Amino acid sequence: MKSTQALVLVFLALLFAWAGQIALGFFQVGKLEPILNEETNYTVPPVPSGLAQTGSRVFAAQGCLECHSLSVRGPTGSADIARGWGPRRTVPRDYLFREPAWIGSSRIGPDLSNIGIRLPDANELMMHIWNPRLKKASSTCPPHPWLFDLKVSGPIIEKEALPVPSKDWKQILPTYQAKALVAYLQSLHSDYSLPEAPLK
Amino acid sequence: MNAPLSSFSKSSLASLILLIGSVSWALLGAGLQVLATLQLLVPSLAYLLPIPWIAYGHLAPLTTFLFTYGWITSGFLGVLLILIPRISGIPFRYGKLLTSAALLWQIAVLIGVAEIIWNGATGLTSLPFSRSVTCLFLASFLVLGTGLTRGLGRSWKSGPLLPRLYLLAALLALPLGLGTAEILLRGGLAPGALQIIAQLVWHSFLHHLWLTPLALVLLFQLLPTLTGRPVGSLSLGLLAWGATIGLGGWIGMSLASEGPVPSWLQSAGVVATILLAVAVWGNGTLLKPLLDGKIEECRRQVALRFLAVSLWSYFVSYAWLAFLAIPGIRQATTFTVVAQATQSLLLFSFYGNALAGAIYALLPASRTVGWPRHPALTIHFWFSTLGIASVASCYGIAGILQGLALNDPGVPMSTIASYLRPFLSVVLLGQIAWWIGQLAFSTLFFATLLKLFESVAPVAIFPLPRDESPSSLNPAHH
Ligand code: HEC
Repeated sequence: MKSTQALVLVFLALLFAWAGQIALGFFQVGKLEPILNEETNYTVPPVPSGLAQTGSRVFAAQGCLECHSLSVRGPTGSADIARGWGPRRTVPRDYLFREPAWIGSSRIGPDLSNIGIRLPDANELMMHIWNPRLKKASSTCPPHPWLFDLKVSGPIIEKEALPVPSKDWKQILPTYQAKALVAYLQSLHSDYSLPEAPLK
Repeated sequence: MNAPLSSFSKSSLASLILLIGSVSWALLGAGLQVLATLQLLVPSLAYLLPIPWIAYGHLAPLTTFLFTYGWITSGFLGVLLILIPRISGIPFRYGKLLTSAALLWQIAVLIGVAEIIWNGATGLTSLPFSRSVTCLFLASFLVLGTGLTRGLGRSWKSGPLLPRLYLLAALLALPLGLGTAEILLRGGLAPGALQIIAQLVWHSFLHHLWLTPLALVLLFQLLPTLTGRPVGSLSLGLLAWGATIGLGGWIGMSLASEGPVPSWLQSAGVVATILLAVAVWGNGTLLKPLLDGKIEECRRQVALRFLAVSLWSYFVSYAWLAFLAIPGIRQATTFTVVAQATQSLLLFSFYGNALAGAIYALLPASRTVGWPRHPALTIHFWFSTLGIASVASCYGIAGILQGLALNDPGVPMSTIASYLRPFLSVVLLGQIAWWIGQLAFSTLFFATLLKLFESVAPVAIFPLPRDESPSSLNPAHH
């Protein structure tokens, strides 16, 4: 084999791998558009707020992805839906406004694609991030207290303070990161119908 | 082969920097990895010591980064800088430039580590660092990779062809893969689910088109040299090479069982993985005969011993990947710890042992030093081999159990966690063992560099330039 031949061959092989997957993938999932829901006059999937977008970065930076996936499979061949992780399987269109988009790699903990349905309440999510064992003593989800500020309470307890007793008269206030993370978790719900993945 | 020694020494400092970096990053990564596994095993630790940068969510991406970019890639570049001018007979010209590039690679790793510690990882698969770190890696690679192109040979006809073909593939795959991944993923060019595809493609490029070909360069170059036996059939080798570069970029897709990746891409990934295993088997029939009946020699020559384990792990890794791609199994094992089993097979056993073997074989040629006859050699080999074996097998079995349990909605998550616990304990022991092995190796490595031990004569596996002292020309085995 000549050296130029080898070079061309390698280049073509690499190009084929890129083009085959990315370019064809682009035509299949890169050109998806949101769907207008005639009843509500809103499009789905919903566009997440700026705060939620920031929160997705906090989610990644804290390594939540190391234990939680973001992809519901099934209904056949997978117990995801039976486990209550979502009303339907997730499809490419669900990731339309997720940037960066992730599916995760591990399920040490439950899938969070629909945590916004399971735990819609901001306060409960906030408490979970502060200390998951407050609600479930045996929880193995790690706490993230560094996403909160401890501040000595004045005469008034701030509205944002977590409703938990804390030592030394301190109140626990969520940082911007914690608020963003909660907004992101709340934005995770695929409870809308799509042509390719209807709700039953 | 008859270039003066001084022209080899041009790259000597660069390779030394890359190897010292590699050994140090491995040691750091191994320690942090133990800390990460400990937290999976004992979740309460995170409650006792809530410190962000040692939290599992920080350590897991950090260790993967340290191992892929710090330990293995830096190490591979280091040994190749020693190997390439010697096999091609073309010396390097710009020593200082190479040295700066080698330093730049270490700086990029350091910044990447700092970023993941302070800010956390980006969450992108195999791209956990910021764009500036990508640029540093690419800038460093521009120099080191250009230097390494001389391994492709002055005249294409002379010398063995296969290592050069693998080198060619690797040298193109890294910049192409990393550059495109960066543009697609952070340049806003890949919307929505396409980002997931782009991450999986880059993951495949990094492992199967960059690290695997480089490990094969080392195996195809060093095994024939150390055993004195040539590789049999060139046409089979060419076929396996073609399959490796043609399919390597596709196999990551089999990681996304169902999920938001189009099903034809997943099927393509499955087919590619299974075909690739056939290609690996082809390479196996080429390389295995080199080691037949050489058990005694493997025992005596530490380099050959590590390379033999690496070769063996090469088959096992790709057979394991093909096994995981089988439809029913793929469905059950996605999102389980089988991914960690794959990582320990590929990174630690295949790449890691190829790297260790190459360092044992090549460092003496570069520094005119010799490895001492020391129990640390045995400790390095047995602790790391047994360590990896227990980590890989426990993660493998645990992952399959975990997958079966996850697929049964009647089994609560907490029960699954309790299934994993005994396996994680053995994994922890295995990782500690590997760390000890690595500690022994690093001690030996630095002591040898500093000539602290009385050493046996250097193992000069490549004919040395004529101005070398005659004593070092006798290949002495341990
Ligand atoms: C070490 C692995 C691990 C990490 C890292 C982790 N979690 Fe968890 N998480 C779990 C496990 C295990 C559970 C399962 C239930 C339990 O034990 O409470 C869980 C449960 C949860 C739940 C409740 C799910 C439900 O269905 O009720 C939420 C919400 C959650 N985690 C959010 C997060 C967020 C946000 C992060 C990152 C800041 C994170 N987790 C990081 C392991 C982890």
